Amino acid sequence: MTRWMIGLGALAAALLLPLSLDPQGYWIRVLTFTFLFAAMAQAWNIVGGLANQTSLGHAAFFGIGAYTSTVLLIKFGISPWIGMIAAAGLGAVAAFAIAIPTMRLQGHYFALATLAFGEVLRVVANVWTSVTGGASGISVPFSPPSVANYSFKLLRPHAYIALAALVIVTIIFEAIRRSAMGYRLRAIKENPAAAEVIGIDTTKVKLQAAIISGMLMAMLGTLYAQVAVFFDPDTVFSAGSVSIRVALIAILGGIGTPAGPILGAFFIIPLEELMNDWFSASAAGLSQLTFGLILIVVILWRPRGFVTLFKSLSARPGGAPA
Amino acid sequence: MTILDVRGISKRFGGLQALSDVTFSVGEGQIVGLIGPNGAGKTTFFSTLVGLIKPDRGSVALEGRPIVGLKPHRVAAYGMTKTFQNVALFGDSTVLDNVLTAGLLRHDVAAARHEARRCLDRVGLLAIAGKQADTLSFPERARVELARALCTGPKVLLLDEVMAALNPVEMREIMELIRSLRDDGITLLVVEHHMRAIMAVCDRILVLNFGKLLADGTPKEIASHPEVIEAYLGQSMEKHR
Amino acid sequence: MQFVQAIVDGLLIGGVYAVISIGLTLVYGVMGIVNFAQAEFVMIGMFVAWFAWSWLGLDPVLAAPLSFAVAFVIGWFVQGHLISRVLKAPSVAQIFLTVGLLIVFENGALLMFGSQFRSVTTPYQTTSLSLGSLFVSLPYLIAFGMSLTCGGALWWFMRSSWFGRAMRATALNPSAAQLMGIDAGLMYRIAFALGVGLTAFGGAIILPYATVSPTAGADYVILMFTVVVLGGLGSVAGAVVGGLAVGIIQALSALVFPIQLQNLVLFLVFIAVLAVRPQGLVGASR
Repeated sequence: MTRWMIGLGALAAALLLPLSLDPQGYWIRVLTFTFLFAAMAQAWNIVGGLANQTSLGHAAFFGIGAYTSTVLLIKFGISPWIGMIAAAGLGAVAAFAIAIPTMRLQGHYFALATLAFGEVLRVVANVWTSVTGGASGISVPFSPPSVANYSFKLLRPHAYIALAALVIVTIIFEAIRRSAMGYRLRAIKENPAAAEVIGIDTTKVKLQAAIISGMLMAMLGTLYAQVAVFFDPDTVFSAGSVSIRVALIAILGGIGTPAGPILGAFFIIPLEELMNDWFSASAAGLSQLTFGLILIVVILWRPRGFVTLFKSLSARPGGAPA
Repeated sequence: MTILDVRGISKRFGGLQALSDVTFSVGEGQIVGLIGPNGAGKTTFFSTLVGLIKPDRGSVALEGRPIVGLKPHRVAAYGMTKTFQNVALFGDSTVLDNVLTAGLLRHDVAAARHEARRCLDRVGLLAIAGKQADTLSFPERARVELARALCTGPKVLLLDEVMAALNPVEMREIMELIRSLRDDGITLLVVEHHMRAIMAVCDRILVLNFGKLLADGTPKEIASHPEVIEAYLGQSMEKHR
Repeated sequence: MQFVQAIVDGLLIGGVYAVISIGLTLVYGVMGIVNFAQAEFVMIGMFVAWFAWSWLGLDPVLAAPLSFAVAFVIGWFVQGHLISRVLKAPSVAQIFLTVGLLIVFENGALLMFGSQFRSVTTPYQTTSLSLGSLFVSLPYLIAFGMSLTCGGALWWFMRSSWFGRAMRATALNPSAAQLMGIDAGLMYRIAFALGVGLTAFGGAIILPYATVSPTAGADYVILMFTVVVLGGLGSVAGAVVGGLAVGIIQALSALVFPIQLQNLVLFLVFIAVLAVRPQGLVGASR
């Protein structure tokens, strides 16, 4: 019961927070990106946490989502909302295409293969200038502000949309975790051979998880495009600042738990902003260096993430108390 | 009526002929023991039956349906599953969740939970349903394995050394359980090292040696089979000296 | 002719790829860890050689043993204090520990040395030998020669020295090796330190024809993984074959594709190998 209380309290705080910030200021932008990255890490968590497949290539779906809606808007004037649905479709197709050759791989091999896939898309997006605009990037064209156009004068609506996305992705994650699929994924994670023998179609379940995760990630890519307004292939397909970052957020917060990505994002993203603010002029790299060190420390001393600091949040994956 | 029909199963690993031309069939509701010295191919054979290992040659039919080449989950859906000799539980999950996951083959989550409780009750572990599987003793884990396999609703159940490390009382309980499962219409194949237990519980015994089927008969016939005594009992006596 | 020239260039560069990648495969072969930070030691080796050149006037090729030594010490520490703690942890912890190291090395270098690109000037930098209509670039040739020497030394070490044999025994069966009096923890340290030392050595010998910056490691990550996966993760001999193969693939794709697409060829080869034969084309594996 306390978990529900904490969840509701956090949601209430999240709803009020944007109202207290300057609607066009710096911090509401940080908050929007925090919600967005928490949602991305949650989407990653479906594959990385529940299925235990450490993907280092989720930027592939994110970039596809950002480009799909933006290109549709530029070339055909299609609303980004529709573009987001198209992004989900392409994200699913990409997840399927990547899953087929990588599905059999485990652990390090899976991580390597997905990393390479993300890089392939980054290179392709850089080269395919006629569609993506290539390395010089792409701008989301201005449309008159309206909900239907997914265009707003202020950042506040973007913050709420990102929050809604986080809530939805978290609900999807939690629904999967508690459903038959969640039980199956845990079984596969712990012993794939035994899972097969007791009747689990391990290939199918992993594929389903990969597709759901890829779809959500692509839709979040569209959200990102609308907030960022300008982006290039090296940003949205970045191995470091998308693929590894979202995995890192989930891992720092607590992999496989619904609260983990949220804790991780609220720790990392604001801290990153603060450090960039403090140090950027004097010492480039210091904030990233700090993150590397934090990551090492957490993995060595808190391998289950920050979530274990809060007893009521750290339910074991099976649902029994820790 | 024949429920399981095995014809000419052979499997080679590099230079080792793990199984050669194993042929037999099992009638519905039998308890069949599978014995043989260490390395005779018993576990390989079980893995082949459920589809974890693909045989080089031969066919297996479950209720007349060919199952060689099917993935293990399809074989489980058709009604045959096995326990793992070295115990392959989902260690991070609770005992109940381990068994429940198997119940999902034929039920939704709520019904699977109910079914899992029933299976745990049968193996006498309902009291520890909430414990994490990792924390159990070996005999307890072996029983969870059994409950989990049972929860898939099998017609044919392959038990790989579920009695290892049990004390005589626990062993008698498991033997009782095996008989009661047979009374429910489940056909059982049992690999066991404990000769007295297997002689007592089985209707029929198959002897594997170096991947070959050496003998096939009632416990009494097997006990007096000269080749079996030489290949298996002789060696086992040597071991026990 | 262009084709033969590409093969020759590819072989020469591929020899260096083999040396920088051997460490990655060695560490995996001995302890089952994929070190995502391995390529950072290319960068570290390059920086050591650059400073040796800039301060002491040492030719990078001669500074290579120094690069080796510096990386060896770092590797000894990293293995003993960090990696050793996750040897039995889930793969996600192993992956992200080394990813953390990658981030630390790259940004540590950025803090210390700044982001500018640095290169050295050597008297032989632009020299080529001509063999009929073939040209052999002297820096390539020297780097290849050093790679051969280094690979030969490693081969001798693994075959003939007690440490080498003990290390191979540990790779095959750590507990059995332990019973025979081999300190597995020590073997892991030696393997890791040796592995990153070789990678840094490779970084130094390519400096005459490459530039160094804190992000230099990133250029080699996928390349190194392609090399070891082609040869079979864990196989040292495989890394040599893989290195030469990648060198040739790169040189040939340079004939056909524009520069941006050359990496793509590598990625696709990499994915294809992982998907079809994760144990590597050469086949030997752990």
